[in-house]
Amino acid sequence: MSDALSLGLGGLVALILLIGLRLPIAYAMILVGGIGTVLISGPALVLSQLKTLAYGQFSIYDLSVVPMFVLMGAIASKTGLSQALFRAANAWLGWLPGGTAMAAIAGCAGFGAVCGSSLATASTMGKVALPELRRYNYSGALATGTLAAGGVLGILIPPSVVLIIYAIIVEANIVTMFMAAFLPGALAVILFLLTIAAYVAIRPEAGPKGGTPDRAEFTAATLGMIPVLIIFGLVIGGIYLGFFNPTPAAAVGVFLVLAFGIVQRRLGLPALREALLETAATSGMIYLILLGAEMLKIFMSRSGLPQETAAWVVQSGLAPMLVLILLLVALILLGCLMDSLSMILLVVPFFWPVLVEVNGGLYQGAEGAGFGMSTEDLKIWFGILALIVVELGLITPPVGMNVFVISSLAKDVPMAQTFRGVAPFFAAEILRVVLLVAFPILILGLPRLLS
Amino acid sequence: AEYEFKLHHFLSANSPAQTKMLEPWAKAVEEASGGKVHIEIYPSMTLGGRPPELVSQARDGVVDLIWTVNGYTPGLFPRTEVFELPTVYRNDPAATNLAMADLLPDLAGEYKGLEVMFLHVHAGQGIQMRDSAVHMPADLMGKKIRVPTRTGAWVIEALGAAPVAMPVPELPPALQKGVVDGAFIPWEIIPPLKIQDQTEYQIEGKDETRFGTTTFQVSMNKGRWDGLPPEIQDAFRAASGPDWLAEVGAIWRASDDFGIKLAVESGNTHIVLTEEETAAFEEAMQPVVDRWVDEVKGKGIDGAGLVEKARAATKAHATR
Amino acid sequence: MGSPVAAPREGQDGTGFTGAVTRIVTFWALLGGALLLIVVALNMASVIAGIFGAPLPGDFELTEMGVAVAAFAFLPYCQITGANVTADIFTSGASPRVIAFLSLIGALVALAFSALLIWRMYAGLLDQKAYDYTTAILQVPHWWAFVPILASLGLLALSALASLMQEARRLSPEGKTDE
Ligand code: NA
Ligand code: NA
Repeated sequence: MSDALSLGLGGLVALILLIGLRLPIAYAMILVGGIGTVLISGPALVLSQLKTLAYGQFSIYDLSVVPMFVLMGAIASKTGLSQALFRAANAWLGWLPGGTAMAAIAGCAGFGAVCGSSLATASTMGKVALPELRRYNYSGALATGTLAAGGVLGILIPPSVVLIIYAIIVEANIVTMFMAAFLPGALAVILFLLTIAAYVAIRPEAGPKGGTPDRAEFTAATLGMIPVLIIFGLVIGGIYLGFFNPTPAAAVGVFLVLAFGIVQRRLGLPALREALLETAATSGMIYLILLGAEMLKIFMSRSGLPQETAAWVVQSGLAPMLVLILLLVALILLGCLMDSLSMILLVVPFFWPVLVEVNGGLYQGAEGAGFGMSTEDLKIWFGILALIVVELGLITPPVGMNVFVISSLAKDVPMAQTFRGVAPFFAAEILRVVLLVAFPILILGLPRLLS
Repeated sequence: AEYEFKLHHFLSANSPAQTKMLEPWAKAVEEASGGKVHIEIYPSMTLGGRPPELVSQARDGVVDLIWTVNGYTPGLFPRTEVFELPTVYRNDPAATNLAMADLLPDLAGEYKGLEVMFLHVHAGQGIQMRDSAVHMPADLMGKKIRVPTRTGAWVIEALGAAPVAMPVPELPPALQKGVVDGAFIPWEIIPPLKIQDQTEYQIEGKDETRFGTTTFQVSMNKGRWDGLPPEIQDAFRAASGPDWLAEVGAIWRASDDFGIKLAVESGNTHIVLTEEETAAFEEAMQPVVDRWVDEVKGKGIDGAGLVEKARAATKAHATR
Repeated sequence: MGSPVAAPREGQDGTGFTGAVTRIVTFWALLGGALLLIVVALNMASVIAGIFGAPLPGDFELTEMGVAVAAFAFLPYCQITGANVTADIFTSGASPRVIAFLSLIGALVALAFSALLIWRMYAGLLDQKAYDYTTAILQVPHWWAFVPILASLGLLALSALASLMQEARRLSPEGKTDE
């Protein structure tokens, strides 16, 4: 093994150690990437590159959509959109056994259609739906488990910040990725609803029926969905139909939720200030991780480790499907420790070249490909699968950010109970991954149809 | 090898620019040096940063060699820009490559901290339209057209259309959905982006006359260059001589021919303007040259003189 | 991804150095947010102008520049509110003093890195100016963007210093008193 290669391996070990020692992930990447590159190529090189590297990374056009979608979600959570969504969903589903929980899932899906982040979706819908679930005497496990799982829909249904980052790393078309995410997102909603139905069939006392709305309430509540439908239709529909690129679309989205908030008289200056500060915290965190990932990439490219890993996997002669499954399992395990964005940024630059080589190269067509599909299709398929499994990390112990968020809202429910309540949804997600691996058309169908 | 070089660029490892141009050139240098030189090519910005940073990476010695589009760092190479102008560039990439080598003493001043290995152009901007034919400048009136560079934007404005700056990967969906009506881009981009599916018309002037072009450079860090022994420098020069520049012209011409062939085979209409129509376009585009001369005057550059020299040098090498 | 609402840590709303830094940094982040809103408005305007066949020239490059400047303005706020995501897996059972020590290391890395970036990006600014780097369509000099960015990095260093002092106080025998 060359010196550079062993440095690369050592760097990975150091990175895991530093992250374990609670160093912010972005700074762990910056430290390892910077020092590693100095050791391989000398300090002058790193000092030169730092003159423009951060500005270059922060001014990538495709990334500009990230803070805009974050802002859109932050404003949306202050506008009463979530209340309207939940009320509508509850009017439709609330009378069923477990219906209020189902309404929470539907509300999460609706909110996910205007918000690109899981945590924001979990906390926003959690604030709205938890009191209702309490009112109908839902078990603590089902109530909190539903909301922690439902939050994941924030990222599985477009817009989705993690998906944008994935598209930038592998040079995929963001529009295509958004199209590909739609059906799998809908499948997640259906499976979550079925999970609740099964849960209350086994344990009816966990999810009692809610009230049946009268006709007037039903109509009024249903009409409350219209703003979300308009916003999702214009923003995501506009992207799907090619009326505009994602960045102007996100700008339109920010404008629409702002207008809605002002019309509803819910968005005063204090709320806007809060939304801007939340956007600052989330976006700043994302951009710093991106910078760290770029510095780590420079170190790794110079060490030759990713290239060697890809060559090694190809030589090992493992079946392509086995390689894919191993990668997905590795992502699920890593998800127990890391947040989804860091994981995508850290792992995809390693995993993607491996899959490309296993499939037969960047320009491989469907004919004779390792996965029986062109590398372009593989890029989309793997992206959605990776998105799902990294998001699973949000609901798995020991570090499950969605569970933490919901726990902080429901202080009387022990966290262990929430993790138990989330378990059936985790099973549903695994079933979904199996379905999507077995039937790639579920992912690739819509992009093909729309293009 | 005794002398190791890292060559960094922004396209993928399978792009014709790497397989047909950079790899053969690197090999030629290595052979001319008698195996003392090894050039490792790093595609897709694998050594970090974004395409506009390539120039400073070479200048600062972050990498040894780069291949990049001059227009990614607008303002840095104003003199070289003369070769991008319509009517200065017409239809002969090989002649233009050779002319740029002739004018290098005039241009070298703007390559600060760099040693130019060679400069080149692509086969030239064609007009690729979604669903409307173009025979006269008036046919472009009010259309939204994707442009590559600032000089490209000036051409589009001169022709009465609206320029839209847009990264290349976003072009296919934008064309398909009518976000733009057409694009200003050479035929060589047709196969990788499947532009034939989103357009119906490919338009160029008589004798493959195009509407300006884009300039590229392969450059080395100046300090690294100055530190090389003469026989190694000679190896780089030997691999970058007139034969090679003509060859680069032929390479880009061939990629372009392949692209238009694909478009025509898939049922697109390839419009070749008549002599009068071509003249009408060149007349409409003349103000772009004046605008450029005016623009660079602010930097103390004798634009009119450069235009004349560039035209004369291109003519001297013209094969058509 | 981080905590959605970055709750200020104890002692941040107080007076003294940490309190002052927090107020300045929060104001600076809000300025960044206002810039982001301006970029949103610019894109809206471009969409509307595009419908009438005349998209705004240079909307891409202004978006790139504006968002980059805004993102840098967010970094100090992330630091002072502890929004930078960490993995708590191995240390969730550790004592507060151990946690404070590890956080102190984190603040130290942030301080060193921001100082390094100030030095290097100042050199970057001089380069951009000397070589006349501009945007493609509107010819806006890139070094303009470096000025507010350097201010952001200065505030990042101040924030890291404030975190450092706070963690050091937590480590000291007297414990948690602020200022
Ligand atoms: Na979403
Ligand atoms: Na987890």
